[in-house]
Amino acid sequence: MYKTAMLTKDLVAASSKPLLLSILADGESYGYEIIKKVRELSGGRIEWSDGMLYPVLHRLERDGLIESEWKEADTGRERKYYFLSSNGRKALKTERQQWLAVHNTLGKLWKMKPVSI
Amino acid sequence: MENETRFDLNAAIENWRQELAAQPNIASDDRRELETHLRDAIAGFQQRGLNDEESFWLARRRVGQSQQLGEEFVKVDPAKVWRERVFWMLLAIFLSGTVGGLANSILFALLPVNSNSTVTVAMQAVLIFLASLIPIVIAVSLAKGKLVALFSKLTLLVDNRPRLATAAIICIVLSSLIKITAFASYYSRMNVHSAHPLLPGLTSAIYPLIIALLLVWLMPPQNRMTSKRA
Repeated sequence: MYKTAMLTKDLVAASSKPLLLSILADGESYGYEIIKKVRELSGGRIEWSDGMLYPVLHRLERDGLIESEWKEADTGRERKYYFLSSNGRKALKTERQQWLAVHNTLGKLWKMKPVSI
Repeated sequence: MENETRFDLNAAIENWRQELAAQPNIASDDRRELETHLRDAIAGFQQRGLNDEESFWLARRRVGQSQQLGEEFVKVDPAKVWRERVFWMLLAIFLSGTVGGLANSILFALLPVNSNSTVTVAMQAVLIFLASLIPIVIAVSLAKGKLVALFSKLTLLVDNRPRLATAAIICIVLSSLIKITAFASYYSRMNVHSAHPLLPGLTSAIYPLIIALLLVWLMPPQNRMTSKRA
């Protein structure tokens, strides 16, 4: 059915935190833009259900990793923007180390070049 | 077809909004966020050349079913919708308290010196009852869709924390001043010198102050800041 293999549900759930933190590390953004970005970057392999992104964002906000603010965009449309907090920056560092540890382990098994942490 | 009804995008969005509002687990701030997403998604599909109807239905499907959304939203913060409801309850308590306090002050300002006759006692009871009817009349009118325009304007007065705090403090200070004036005139008419009018004025401000603090704390986020990076 799929041209490219889609991520399993478990992997989508597990990777949403590092993905969101990394996207927001590049600058503030809002839900629609975030989903578009993930779709583009993953070549369509990571497809988030749009509405379900918000509970994930709200959970990160509750845990103090991101903050939010309603703002008026240039078009005059109001959107809720999210941005990384200093705790979020620290959490991203940890996430990065953990994901690269998995990545490098698999890489060794699959005879790929390691990525420095 | 000729007699095919034209698709009304605004009506469709309005319908969707009402469906979402019927979902008790999603707070108004979250509904607003989902609506901006729906509108962004519609605009995205329109840009790709789809018509209004196709864009709406695709965007609607993307956002998801309101019941499933509600289940997920409430998991993150089960108290969120309740904070919002408690905010409105406290606002009603604050306003009816202010109205009741004003009625009480007016009563004392008008109270005749000889207040032991049955007529004045009955008059007091009737006045207090009439004053307590005011919030009920307002509630019924709002529920029936009257006064909506007026109250929509009033909510603009309190759409961020500093404004809400200022409005509440003005309410409290004004009603305390009125109370102090009323009691001063009452005491002087009654020739009471042992009691000071400041006392009832200040003590009656404590309870509304506590409620005002809770209101400011519980206020749903609605900061409409303009973009700094515009």
